[in-house]
Amino acid sequence: MKLERKQYWIACLFLLPALAIFGLFFYYPFLQSVYYSFTQWNGLKAPVFIGLDNYKYIFSDQQMLDGMKNTLKMVAFGLVVQNPLALLLALLLNRKFRTRAFLRTSFYLPIIISLVVTSIIWGELLKYDGFFNGILKPIIGESHIQDWLGTVYTSFPTIILLTQWQGIGYCALIYLAGLQSIPTDIYEAADIEGAKGFALFRHITLPMLMPSVTIVLFLTVVGALKLFDLPYLLTNGGPGTSSYTLFLAVYNAAFKAQNYGYATAAGILLAIFIIIVTIVQLGITRKREVEL
Amino acid sequence: MGLNKRPSILLEIVLILVALSFLFPVFFLVESSFKEPRYFFKPFALPHSFYLDYYKKALHDMDFFRGLWNTVLVMVGALALAIMVASMAGYVLSRRTERLFRYAYLFFLSGMVIPTVGSLIPLFTLAVKLHLMNTRILLVLIYTAGFIPFASFLYAAFTKAIPRELEESASLDGCGPLRLFFRIIFPLLLPATGTFIVTNVYGIWNDFLTPLIFLNQPEKMTLMPQIVQFMFNKQSVNYGPVFAVSVLAVLPLVVLFAFTQKYMLRGLTAGAVKG
Repeated sequence: MKLERKQYWIACLFLLPALAIFGLFFYYPFLQSVYYSFTQWNGLKAPVFIGLDNYKYIFSDQQMLDGMKNTLKMVAFGLVVQNPLALLLALLLNRKFRTRAFLRTSFYLPIIISLVVTSIIWGELLKYDGFFNGILKPIIGESHIQDWLGTVYTSFPTIILLTQWQGIGYCALIYLAGLQSIPTDIYEAADIEGAKGFALFRHITLPMLMPSVTIVLFLTVVGALKLFDLPYLLTNGGPGTSSYTLFLAVYNAAFKAQNYGYATAAGILLAIFIIIVTIVQLGITRKREVEL
Repeated sequence: MGLNKRPSILLEIVLILVALSFLFPVFFLVESSFKEPRYFFKPFALPHSFYLDYYKKALHDMDFFRGLWNTVLVMVGALALAIMVASMAGYVLSRRTERLFRYAYLFFLSGMVIPTVGSLIPLFTLAVKLHLMNTRILLVLIYTAGFIPFASFLYAAFTKAIPRELEESASLDGCGPLRLFFRIIFPLLLPATGTFIVTNVYGIWNDFLTPLIFLNQPEKMTLMPQIVQFMFNKQSVNYGPVFAVSVLAVLPLVVLFAFTQKYMLRGLTAGAVKG
């Protein structure tokens, strides 16, 4: 009995360091940010409680509104375009191509390139007189060439497309991991039953792949909501506020305008957003998951 | 799906073309960094000779090796600390069933959903209060805190596969709990450790935002913000040196990637195991 107690306390001690670091550097700041979001605070004077004013102001702030709109566009694009493409790519990369190793490596390589370097490369490629327009000119004509990152209509769509350079390969990698964990004898059994092509995909591959779908959807949404480096480095949200993301707007409110209370409110809004999306999405995909 | 049939050659050619277009930006980066200024903006004109001036200039104008040292320091520190505390936590989370441990599990789980944007400012003031502002230790602690949920679950999942009898016989032999863990359990959790490292090296190495906010002395700066600083100082001038520095910063990751690509795939499968 005494030994039992002792072991319990030792287990507690094992848990303590992780709990302490996580609590102090993750949870405590988060809980504080909930409080600060109801205050006016510039970091110098004491915070003044102002109720919901910060939250109300968000909806009349052009940076935040455009940031929200763009962030939603990015989420939608990730779910509707990026995911199906990544799944298709994973299915292809899972087949026995002669050049399979080369193909896989080419799609994974961009994943490890940092967004800083990505923006340096693509910033050059996409300049008005850069490589990309050099290729496009004979195809779409000189009059349609533009500074893709420099106009109100094209800057954010261009950034969305740039995220795909890494996004597709990353999601395909996770799908591929999922595909490889599906036991092959299921396919053999289905083959004997006479199932073919799309039916095989629809009734075996997709249901078995649902855990990966859950992970990929979650990562796509979180990735979209955290989009910061590319717009910060390539357009700084411009021209005007056309390529702001919510994260960039929060960053500017905090570290440019020193409007801490307001920035935390927007951060909390972003958090609520992520949590809602996660719950809804888990609700949808978990139901379809097959327990192995 | 005709799993065992070889797919058509036409499909393969299309895929190869798409793959080459994905590789092109990387090729462009490396190629341009070796190109004389007058050819710099002509991507299809291959460099005539290895033009190394950009590298000389970059290493002269920017303290690259300091940035590299800082990045490695922060990365190794954060991975080591996270591995130590998360393996211990994951181990007891999987072995104990008392209420405290179930709550701790939920506590960590909620951390996977809560995004860190809003917390940046309180974290900033916390760092000032603790006199950790502008230190690399702060980065290590912030990264570790962020890793703890995922890493603990990973270790918990791997602990399940270790038979309890092992611990029982060891403790009968008079082995103390700390020694038992680090001598017997921890080595058995090595696959989890490998998975954790392989999947998280890139995130720290490439992080731009965290050092941007929490470090402001050049001599402590990590590579990514250092490169951005270097780029902003060079505006309107030739981008060659910026490309050269980018190649140097990407190179260690490419080498690592070449050796661990297989494990990355495996790591992601393991990460998908429900804890």
